[in-house]
Amino acid sequence: MLEIKKLSISVEENKILDGLDLSVGAGEVHAIMGPNGSGKSTIAHTLAGNSNYNVDSGKALFKDKDLFELDPSQRSLEGLFLAFQYPIELPGVSNASYLKQILNIHRKYQGENPIDAGEFLKILKEKSKRLNISMEMHSRFVNTGFSGGEKKKNEVLQMDLLNPSLIIMDETDSGLDVDALRQTSEAVNKLRSKDRSFIIITHYLRLLEYIEPDHVHIFQEGKIVESGDKRLAHKIDKEGYTT
Amino acid sequence: MTELNTKIDSQDCYVEVNKDDLVVNNDSSKIHCKALEESEKINLNIEILESEIVPRINLKVLRDSYINLNIELTLLKGAKLEILDESEYSKGSEIKINSELKQNSSFELYRLNKFNQSTENTYFHKCELARNCIFKDFNFTNGSKYMTNETIVTLADEHSKYIGSGVVITNSTNCNNTLKINHVAPSAVSDCSFKAVSRGDANVTFNGNILVEDNCSNTVSNQISKGLIMNEEARVDLIPKLEINNDDVVCSHGAASGKPDENVLFYLTSRGISREDAKKIYIQGFLGEFIKKIDNAQMQAKAKQFISQNS
Repeated sequence: MLEIKKLSISVEENKILDGLDLSVGAGEVHAIMGPNGSGKSTIAHTLAGNSNYNVDSGKALFKDKDLFELDPSQRSLEGLFLAFQYPIELPGVSNASYLKQILNIHRKYQGENPIDAGEFLKILKEKSKRLNISMEMHSRFVNTGFSGGEKKKNEVLQMDLLNPSLIIMDETDSGLDVDALRQTSEAVNKLRSKDRSFIIITHYLRLLEYIEPDHVHIFQEGKIVESGDKRLAHKIDKEGYTT
Repeated sequence: MTELNTKIDSQDCYVEVNKDDLVVNNDSSKIHCKALEESEKINLNIEILESEIVPRINLKVLRDSYINLNIELTLLKGAKLEILDESEYSKGSEIKINSELKQNSSFELYRLNKFNQSTENTYFHKCELARNCIFKDFNFTNGSKYMTNETIVTLADEHSKYIGSGVVITNSTNCNNTLKINHVAPSAVSDCSFKAVSRGDANVTFNGNILVEDNCSNTVSNQISKGLIMNEEARVDLIPKLEINNDDVVCSHGAASGKPDENVLFYLTSRGISREDAKKIYIQGFLGEFIKKIDNAQMQAKAKQFISQNS
């Protein structure tokens, strides 16, 4: 699904990632843990195509395509989805019309007919119910005036709508209360399949208690310093990153 | 020069400026006003009577030539009126409105105008409000090479209220906008908003002048202006000027302009939206906040459509 080879990234001359290698197979769930400033969000935003991050060297192949040859919208249409740590507010645009628009853009790319308002509403109700999202939220402007939990749920709702093959979750658990974390994790678990891969970026074990990873990687100073299975996350939770 | 005097007291009145005709239609009668020459000024005098229903004048310019239109409008005591101008001006234009709102009258003006990119267009509106009058003034414009919009509102008596919003979406235009609010009586309210989207090498200026005279206690006056600059060559100059001569007032103003937030554009493109379409959505969002100020559902829908078509 994703092959990252010797990837080095900088932001305004500061090197953030230094020769990163990572291979994510189809259907696998990889968790990336690490202290603040270790480069976790950098990898997420670089893969999604944020132009603030400069690719100095290295490659990333997504479904055998050179990811860095694609602009952010093409990456999305090819099946890459980034759930933002800080979802962006968009005043003046209703959440419902935004969600319908992005769904239809993806349907068009897949050669499907656009979905009409009635059918969209039916899908939206069903998927919102799963995340305990009120339909009233969709009449508001995108992420504007949303609570932290509502914003994160709106990210998960979008990943559910767009049916991506690689999902990168950048600290989706931050700002969620216990119930919201459980509902969000259950929705994510329902999306797990042999054709869909996840990269889950988190500081904490609690999200990984709900979404069980196949691999856990520890980031420090822009590199993977240790990899293992779920037990590694338990070890970090107990001992921290500094031991 | 031709003059037309008519009294309108029913719903659905139409004013259409055809190639050589001016038509006022209030369903029961049709009055033609011929302009003898294409360049000739058309004068329209309208007096609105008090009525239960709100009459609407649909102003639609169909003439494919220079338009020079002068409207003298009087809303008599207790009268109500909506004017909707959805004209697409293919040539130059000069529109002048002089309106007088008598006590307890209510006037809503919606201009949703698209102009030719190579023409010169001017709009001037002078409005005076008597006691307990309200004037809702919404202007949405796109296009024109040289455009001048000027509105002067005098809140001449107590409890008069002006709510005004101007939206300009433009490329390759010099667009000068002036809004002068004169508070000359106490306990009056003005709430002014202006937003401009400047593209290409457009140069948009907004002069927002508020005068509160010394006898005007209990005045409430707010003004906000924002500009969105879509290109390196585009400009927006927002110039608020407040002259407050009474201490017993609540007045505020804010002005801000800048480029689109790249973080927002990245968020939208990361969902599969092309960068070009992301910019359109950004513009719609920027202007969409103003739509909420229109409490007339039908007009709100028209304004949304105008923004969507011209973003």
